[in-house]
Amino acid sequence: MKAFILNRLLSVIPVALGVVTLVFLIIHLTPGDPVEIMLGETAQAADKEELRRELGLDRPILEQYFSFLGKLAHGDLGNSLYTKRSVTESIKERYSATAQLALSSMFLAIIIAVPLGVIAAARKDTAIDNGAMAVSLIGVSIPSFCIGPLLILVFGIELQWFPVSGRGGLDSLVLPSVTLGTAMAAILSRLARSSVIEALNEDFITTARAKGVKERVILFRHALSNALIPVVTVAGLQLGALLAGAIITETIFAWPGIGRLTIQAINARDYPLTQGCVLTIALSYVLVNLVVDVLYTVIDPRVRQK
Amino acid sequence: MTKWRKLAVFILLALISACHRAEEVPPNTFVIGVETGPAMLDPRLATDAASSKAFDLLFNGLVKRKEDFSILPDLAESWEIKDKLKYVFHLRKNVKFHDGSSFTSADVKAVYDFVLNPANKSPHRGTFKVIESIETPDDHTVIFNLKEKNAPFLGSLTFAIVKKGTETATEHPIGTGPFKLVKYKRDEQLVFVKHKDYFEGVPNLDGVIFKIVPDETVRTLELERGAVHTIMNPITPDLLPRFRKNENLKVVTQLGTNYSYLGFNMEDALTGDKNVREAIALAIDRKSIIEHILKGLAQPATGPISPASRFYEGDVKTYKRNLEKAKKILDEAGYKDPDGDGPQKRFTLRYSTSQNELRKRIAEVFQWQLSEAGIGIDIRSYEWGTFYADIKKGNFQMYSLTWVGIADPDIFKYIFHSSSMPPGGANRGRYRNLEIDKLTEMGAVTFGGERRDVYSKAQKILANDLPYVSLWYSVNVAVMNKRITGFTLAPDENLKSLKNVTIK
Repeated sequence: MKAFILNRLLSVIPVALGVVTLVFLIIHLTPGDPVEIMLGETAQAADKEELRRELGLDRPILEQYFSFLGKLAHGDLGNSLYTKRSVTESIKERYSATAQLALSSMFLAIIIAVPLGVIAAARKDTAIDNGAMAVSLIGVSIPSFCIGPLLILVFGIELQWFPVSGRGGLDSLVLPSVTLGTAMAAILSRLARSSVIEALNEDFITTARAKGVKERVILFRHALSNALIPVVTVAGLQLGALLAGAIITETIFAWPGIGRLTIQAINARDYPLTQGCVLTIALSYVLVNLVVDVLYTVIDPRVRQK
Repeated sequence: MTKWRKLAVFILLALISACHRAEEVPPNTFVIGVETGPAMLDPRLATDAASSKAFDLLFNGLVKRKEDFSILPDLAESWEIKDKLKYVFHLRKNVKFHDGSSFTSADVKAVYDFVLNPANKSPHRGTFKVIESIETPDDHTVIFNLKEKNAPFLGSLTFAIVKKGTETATEHPIGTGPFKLVKYKRDEQLVFVKHKDYFEGVPNLDGVIFKIVPDETVRTLELERGAVHTIMNPITPDLLPRFRKNENLKVVTQLGTNYSYLGFNMEDALTGDKNVREAIALAIDRKSIIEHILKGLAQPATGPISPASRFYEGDVKTYKRNLEKAKKILDEAGYKDPDGDGPQKRFTLRYSTSQNELRKRIAEVFQWQLSEAGIGIDIRSYEWGTFYADIKKGNFQMYSLTWVGIADPDIFKYIFHSSSMPPGGANRGRYRNLEIDKLTEMGAVTFGGERRDVYSKAQKILANDLPYVSLWYSVNVAVMNKRITGFTLAPDENLKSLKNVTIK
C-alpha cells in the first residue's frame, strides 16, 4: 500500500511539469503586457524597460522558463506582479474557501444521490423510480448561473433564511453548496441507480436471496458496496473539478475561491499568479485521484489483495 | 456501515470547524456593494479605480478638487507660487494620522521622494518628474522646486499622503482621512471605522464597509434586501426602472466626466481620410442609443473635456445625424455605393471592441446605423488584454473606448500630441497636427484665464479634424436606500462625501 501511494505521488512530478510548461507557453504567447498593466500607461518607456529587465521579461523565453522551474523546485512561486503579494499566500487564502465549498457540495451530493439512486434501483420502473430520475434530469439540466440566483431569490430574499452572498458562517455555505451539489447529485444518483441495478442481477445476490438475507441488507450491503466503484470514480473527478474553483458559482455568491483568483490573474496577465493557480488546480486533481484509488481498496477487498 | 458513518461525521465536523461565524454589520455603518476590491492599498503604487475609492476614505492630498475641478486647500492651508517654479505650501497644524501621530512636512516629502525614487518603480513617477527638489524648512512648510513651468502641477498634488515610513506595498495604510482601515479580506470586504481625530470633524458614521459582490444581479438583490445600502456605477441601464419603482430606494444621477469616443487609425487609407470620419460622425445616431440602450445615463459629448470642467468649450463643430450629408460626403470623396441602397457597401471597416455586453450591443447598433450610409462594419470583440494591446500597437481601423476621470486639459497633450504615440503616450490613432502640438505644449506652461483660451482653441480644432468622434459623457448613477442622507455623487465618482453621510 505504501509503495502504491509513494509511486502515485511520484507520478505527480511529470504531470506538474507538463502542466506548468503548457501554461507557461500559453500565457507568454497571449497578447497583453504585464509591465504595461503594472506601471500604467503614463509610465515612461525607460521605466518600463527597466522593470521588464528586473522581472526578467526581456530574456529569451527558454531562459525565463528554466529560471521559473529553478525557483519552483525550491518551492518559490514568486510574488504577484499586480498586488506584489506572495503567490503562495494568496493561493492559501483562497484555497481554504474553495476546499470548504467543494467538500460541502460533494458531501451534500453524496448524501442525496446515493440513497436516491439505491431506492430508485430497488423500485425499478415504478413511479418512485421514474419520479426520482425525472428530478435528477432536471437537476442535471439547470445550469448554475440559473439555479444560483433562483435560490438567492427564494431563500435569501423572500424567506431570508440564508445570506445572499459572501463567506461568513455555516449559513453562508448553504446556498452555494446546494447550487453546486444539485447538478452533481443528479449525475451521481443516475449512476448509482444503474450500477445498483447491474449489481442486483449478479449471481451473488441470487445466492444471498436464496440464503434468506433481508432485502434491505442485500440492497445496502451486498449490492451497494459492489456498485460504489463507478460512483466513487465519478465523484472523485467531480471533486477535482470543484477544487479547480467553480467560477460561476463563486462569482454569483461572492465566494472568495481560487476560480475567481485564477480569472483575475489571467486577465491581469499576472504570470506568477496564473502559474501558481493552475499548478495548484492540477495538483488537486492528481491528489483527489490518488484518494479515489485508495478508496477503491477500502470499498473492494479484491483490489486490496492485488 | 459504521465506517461510512464515521467518515460522514468527520467531514461534517471538518466543515463546521472550517467555518467562522458570520459577522453582523455593526450599527451606524454604511455598506457599499462594489464589484471588485482594491488591487493594492499603497497609494504610492496603486493605479486601479477600486483602490482610488478606498483612498478617498483613507487619505488627504495637499490640495483637493472642487466639483468643477478647481483647486482647494486640503492638508495645505495656503500656498504661494514664485516665478511659477517654486511652490511654497503652508500645512495645516493639528492634523493627526490614524495612529494618533501628527502630520508634518516630513510625511509629504517622504511620499514624493518615494514616488520619484526609480528603485520603487511607482507608476506615478512620470506625473511628478517635473519636481527638481523638495525642501522642508520647518514642520509645517513644504517647498517644491520645479525644473520647468508646469500648469497642471498644482492639480496633481491631490496625490494621497501616507505616513512616513510606510512599507512598500503595505496592507495596512495609515493616512489622515476621515476613516481608517481595520480589515481587508481580499475579494470579501473592506472594513473602515471613523477617524475620531479627523481634522475636518468626526464623521457621522461609525464605519463604512465595502462589500465585494462581483455579480451585478446579486448586488441588486443585496441592495433590495437592505444588506447593502448603496450600489454605484456601473449599473446596467435596464435595471433603473426596477429601482425607481422600489419605494425603499432612491436613484441619484450626476453628469460624469467619463468620455466615450470612436477612435480611428490615422495611418489607415480609409479611416485616415477625414471625409470618412466625418461621414461616420454624421451617420451615427447618438441620441437613440442614449435613449434606448443607455436609458438616459449619458449625454451627447462634444470633446474629451466634460461640461463639468471650467475648461469645457461648447462652441465647437457638432455632428447631428444627417444621412444625406454623410452619403454626399462619401460620394464626393469617391467612395461610391455600388448598388445604392442595396446590400453592397462602399467599404467595410473593422470595428474593435472589448467583450463587454453593453459595448457589443452598442457596436451592433452602430453597424446598423452606418450601413444606412453604405458603410460596412465588421465587429471584432476581443478579450480585454488582447483588445487593449492591439489598440496600443495601432492594430485597428476604428475602436470605441472611454477616458475615465479627465480632470485637467493637459490630457490633450498625452492623447493627441505627435510625440505621444505609444508606448510613450496615448496617441493611439497616430494623429499628427502641428497646431495641436503647439497648443498642447503651450497649455502646459500657460496659467490663469489664458490657459482656458489655449485649450478652447485646441478643442475647436479637434472637433473639426475628428481624430476622435465624440460619443457621450456618462451620467454617474447611484441607487441607495432612502435611509441614507448626505451622500452626493461627484462627477469623477469620488467618495469624499461619505464623511457627511448619516443613516436614519
